[in-house]
This record gives sequence, structure tokens and C-alpha cells, in this order.
Amino acid sequence: MKPTEHDITLMERYFDSELSVTELEHFHSRVATDATFKALVQREKILIGAIRNQGLLDNLQYLKAIEDKIQGNQAHPASPKIQRWYYYAAAAVVTILLSVTFLLPTQKSSDELFAEYFTTYPNFVEPTTRGSNEATNRAEAFQAYEQKDYQKAAALFTKMLNENRESGVLLLLGNSNLMLGKTKEAKENFVTLIEEFDELDIQAKWYLSLCYLKSGDTENARKILKELGETEVSYASKAKELLEQVD
Amino acid sequence: MIGGEAIQSEIIQRIRSGGQTELGMIYEEYRSEFLQWITKEYDCSMDDGKDMYQLAILIFYDNIRQGKLEYLVSSVKTYLFGIGKNLAKDNMRKEKKFTPINQEKWLKEYLIDEPDQPLDDGIFALAKRALEKLGQPCKRLIELFYYENKNMQEITEAMQYKNSETAKNQKCKCMARLRKLVDQEIERNSNVVNHETY
Repeated sequence: MKPTEHDITLMERYFDSELSVTELEHFHSRVATDATFKALVQREKILIGAIRNQGLLDNLQYLKAIEDKIQGNQAHPASPKIQRWYYYAAAAVVTILLSVTFLLPTQKSSDELFAEYFTTYPNFVEPTTRGSNEATNRAEAFQAYEQKDYQKAAALFTKMLNENRESGVLLLLGNSNLMLGKTKEAKENFVTLIEEFDELDIQAKWYLSLCYLKSGDTENARKILKELGETEVSYASKAKELLEQVD
Repeated sequence: MIGGEAIQSEIIQRIRSGGQTELGMIYEEYRSEFLQWITKEYDCSMDDGKDMYQLAILIFYDNIRQGKLEYLVSSVKTYLFGIGKNLAKDNMRKEKKFTPINQEKWLKEYLIDEPDQPLDDGIFALAKRALEKLGQPCKRLIELFYYENKNMQEITEAMQYKNSETAKNQKCKCMARLRKLVDQEIERNSNVVNHETY
């Protein structure tokens, strides 16, 4: 038998804690005596359980992503926060320079190097907080990126960039494209970021060098890595010194 | 280290009104100490310790969001270690020795508040499938309401509805749609069973 509107409203108000003491008594008495109503309430309870379970699983994934980041940082120690990227990039530059210059022909292919050194840039533009603007495409895009749904993230980032050019979004779009194996598109994203924006140059160059590595263009990868090694970041002087010795 | 009574209650307040950022902050704050303690105390691996820490953080967060934890008589650290201890003991009681915890299974069982009424796994699975089909913004709205425990005013602001009344109507419509989707899933499932029978 199909439940009445009244029964559904009563049930909804029960689960939303809106019933008065008298109404609550009436509700419990209905559950005790009316099997159909009881089944309706049990079904709703399972539905709410499924919603809560999904919320818990989403947050579990979020914690796992944080754990991955912590592990990544421990593998490439870095601090403080503002300098984190620079240390990471510079440390990696030294290692890559070593690998590309000395080891590439005999040990690791550029593809292997790419796989070893490429990790997606974290969503620093708009970390998803569950309290704000969740319904917007923008929030959905960042959420998709954090949840590693790069196909969806790339589509939404592209749409966002058509409306408003933002360097951070472009960086994340490039990362999404790299994750999707669209190296050519990613390369275009990073080149645009370098040429047409005043910020995130170092990051864009780092990822552009990885694009070149991915596509087997070690010459161009080396050029950018050399340039990065010459920037005023930690380890840069060592990188320069090393590069001079290699050359 | 975060300490002091005022700061402890501020943490609770921030989690209650915040979101994933606050969840992440707490996770990072107590992670090292918790892992060091649990791996030593229960002789478990670092990975098992992390699994339990993630569950402990989720319970802590959920207790605050659901209004079960309004103030702390001890510190956040003591509370988290207490949850960890219960998790480890519960796991050992069930398995008789320490075994890796199945997080998804555990999170499903965590939702059962009446032990005498076991969860109908079949309907639960169909409800999860229906939820996947619900789509946005409905899915987000009902998650904000039932999981995040946000009130209609907060939902109105978060999802940019005209007013609380609109948000509430929308929530009722979303739940009605979800119920319908579950009915369809049940029907589809029974058809599959029938086909398999013949």
C-alpha cells in the first residue's frame, strides 16, 4: 500500500526532530501498531544511514589523501609552508638533473623518470570545505580534482577558464591533463601559464619539464631544469655547480 | 601541540561550524603521537595504526557534528586515544587477536544504533546505488543535512538558496526522489532475481 502524504510528513518530521512530545507519542504508537508504517520508517532509517555512510566514506577518502600528502612530504622533506613548493621543486631538480644527465641513457627512461617524479599539485586555489558553495560548478571542479576525478575536473576547469582566466585553475587543469595522459594539452596549459601570467612560473616550468620528459623530449626538459636550477631556491646553487661540472 | 581548555572548546566549535579543512587540521595535529602510541601498545603495523587513526578522527568529527560531543572533560588527544583504544579492543575481541581493521565494514556497522535490529544489507546496498543515481545538488544537500548536521539556514547559505523555506522544500523533494529511486532499484533487483530463477 502506498503511504499517504500525511504519513510521509509525520515520518520526515520525526527524523528531523520536529515532533512535539504528544506527536512523538502518537508516532511511536503508530510504529508499534501499524506494520506498514513501521516498514516505511525502517526504510527511511536505512536511507539516512546510506547518506551518512556516504559522508563518512567521502571524509575517509579525504583523510587518505592527506595521508598520501604527508607520506609524499616525508619522502621529500619540506618546510615551512610557503617555501614547501620551492624546496620540493629544487630538491627534485637536483635529482632529475643527475638522472637526466648521467643516468638517463643507461638506467631510466624519460617515461620512468616522469612516473617517478610527477605528483599532482595540491588544490591550493580553493580547498574544498563542505560548508560553502558546494552546489556551484566551481566547487564541484575542485572537489573532483581532490577526489582524483580528473576527467570531470578538466572539463569543469576548462569551462571556468573560458569565463575567467585564473592562473591557479590553469595550473590544476595542466595537472589534470597530465594525469589523463593528455601531454600535448598539458604542455599548452603550462606554456600559457608561463607566457601570459605573472605568477606560478616556477610551478609551471617544473610541470612543463615533466611534460617534455613524458613526451621523450629530454633536450627541452634539460633546458628548463637547468633554468630552474639557476633560480634562487634552496639547493639551486648546488644544482648550478653540479650542472657546470656536468657540462 | 594544541592545548588549554579554551582552545579545546574552540577546536570543537571550529569543527562544528567548519568542514573538511578542520578535519584535516585535526588529523595532522595528533597523527604522529597516535601512531607512535597505537603501534607500540597493540603491536600493530604503521598501516593498521593509520587505518584506526582515520576511524578515530571520523568518530570524533561525527560525534561533534551530531551534537554528541559538546565539550571535553579531557583533551582532544585523550579523547582520540580513548576512541583508538576502544577500536583496538573491539577489533581484538571480534578477531581474538589484532587483525587489520576493515574500515568500510566498520563504518557501516558504526551507523547501527540499535544492535537488536541488524541492518538490512540488501536494502542498504540498493539505497547506496540509488544515492549514486540521485546526482547533484540533491546528493550534496541531503548529505549536508543528514551527515554534516547543518541546519536549513546554513544549507541556504552554503547552497545559495533563496531562503530556509526553499532549502527545506528542496530537501523534501530530494528525499522523495531518493525514495523513488530506491523503489526502482528494488523493483529492478527483483526482476533480475526473477529472471535468474527462470
